[in-house]
Amino acid sequence: MRIGAFILVGLAAGSLTAEHPRSTYVLIANPASRVSRIDRKFLAEVFLRRATRWPDETPIRPVDLGPDAPARARFSQEILSRSVASMRSYWQQRIFSGQGLPPPELADDEAVVSFVVSHPGAIGYVAAGTPLSGATVLELN
Amino acid sequence: MRFVLAVSALALLAQRPAAAAGLTLPGQLAELQIHGFISQGFLLTSANDYLAHSSEGSFEFTEIGLNFTLPATDRLTLGLQIFSHDLGPVGDYRATLDWYSLDYHWRDWLGIRAGRVKLPFGLYNDSSDIDAARTSVLLPQSIYPAQNRDFLLAQTGGEVYGYRDLGAAGGLDYRLYGGTIFLDVKQQPGSPFTVVDLNVPFVAGGRMLWVPPIEGLRLGGSLQFLRLETHLLPASSSSSVAVNLPVMLWVASVEYTVRDLLFAAEYSRWRVRAQSSNPAMFPESLTFSERGYALTSYRVNSWLQAGAYYSVLFPNTNQRGGFAGRQLDAALTLRFDVNAYWLVKVEGHYMHGTAGLSPSLNGNRPLSSLTPDWALFTVKTTAFF
Repeated sequence: MRIGAFILVGLAAGSLTAEHPRSTYVLIANPASRVSRIDRKFLAEVFLRRATRWPDETPIRPVDLGPDAPARARFSQEILSRSVASMRSYWQQRIFSGQGLPPPELADDEAVVSFVVSHPGAIGYVAAGTPLSGATVLELN
Repeated sequence: MRFVLAVSALALLAQRPAAAAGLTLPGQLAELQIHGFISQGFLLTSANDYLAHSSEGSFEFTEIGLNFTLPATDRLTLGLQIFSHDLGPVGDYRATLDWYSLDYHWRDWLGIRAGRVKLPFGLYNDSSDIDAARTSVLLPQSIYPAQNRDFLLAQTGGEVYGYRDLGAAGGLDYRLYGGTIFLDVKQQPGSPFTVVDLNVPFVAGGRMLWVPPIEGLRLGGSLQFLRLETHLLPASSSSSVAVNLPVMLWVASVEYTVRDLLFAAEYSRWRVRAQSSNPAMFPESLTFSERGYALTSYRVNSWLQAGAYYSVLFPNTNQRGGFAGRQLDAALTLRFDVNAYWLVKVEGHYMHGTAGLSPSLNGNRPLSSLTPDWALFTVKTTAFF
């Protein structure tokens, strides 16, 4: 009985605290990538590490925000169609079976901008309103 | 060795609780990524001993893994994983190289791995050791039997893999492999034969997963061929019997993920032929087994997941009658993520049938003499980074 009540409380709490994406985000790329638009499916494959090269053969270097960033939650839901927690499970499978590594997670929006600007082939996303310091803004097809 | 492993992993967890450990190497080499996990579980059955001596409660359910991955260049990745486990009579905490590979990712549609590589069989075989990657404690044992881990988990050889974008038709994920499996000869207590040697001349197969343009859907099939060659010495004879076992396994898979809800179902048949140099001592046979499950899980929030599955196993399709010829397994799981690097799972199973039980764990009693309806309760906690 107590266990049942505990589970019900958990489920109710869950419905209140489930990840609700709020923050809008901006897609950015290294200026040398010479792209201004990106296909949504291709973008998902980049962040799942299935697509690893730009059309000019430059290696793509995707970078994530930390798991608690609201922009990460929204990006994950809209582009990858999964929650951040679900993506963590996906990467656990990949890492421990030797199938690949996830994009690095950086601490905040400024760190993502700095990484993208300084690494050829880099692509990331940051919360709307973040100073972009010369990073190319990508439009989503 | 297990002590060193455990201490190393714990030390890394303590130092870097919030992320994978990274080690910057000298020169132009990229950062070495270090990940690991430690699991401890408990098994309790209402009757029969399952996986371990579970009828009295067993803590012989431990896994430790530590992996190192070095993206040496943008195309070449080196990696290895050290793994130690104990599950009843299996594992005994021996540290082994779970996998190691040299991975050359030439194009997205073609990469090559050489080394000891996890076998892609079904949706989850290559990640079956990874507790953090799923909701349930035990994967459906009909298709992913933990007792057969040594046979089914990894092969030493090579594989080609890739992902092909099919445009409006979605994408295709494929892996083809060939190699061998190195097995330790282990005597089964109570067996009428002594195993003199045991070899796997080859294992080969592949898995193809179609990712159609319906988001979250994966459809696929896996096929595996292997051959076991062994010499058995009967207790009543001084000359051994050569036994060859050509085996073919296949599984059809479907998985659908929509937001935090997951559905998966798999159906599999395994064909095992036994060829004997002395059929009077070791009879020849051809056996088809049938296996399948349907699974669902739901992530309620960042700290709670619930899951359920129903799994069926018929080890011999010609002998489905009687509870010893089947094992039906209904499981319910709750997974609690205490934080991003530590989880606890609670799981209950109702079982009908004894076909998945090991006679040697049950005092060498015939399966038909064991309790037909029984329950399994398990708790497991895992820390990972």
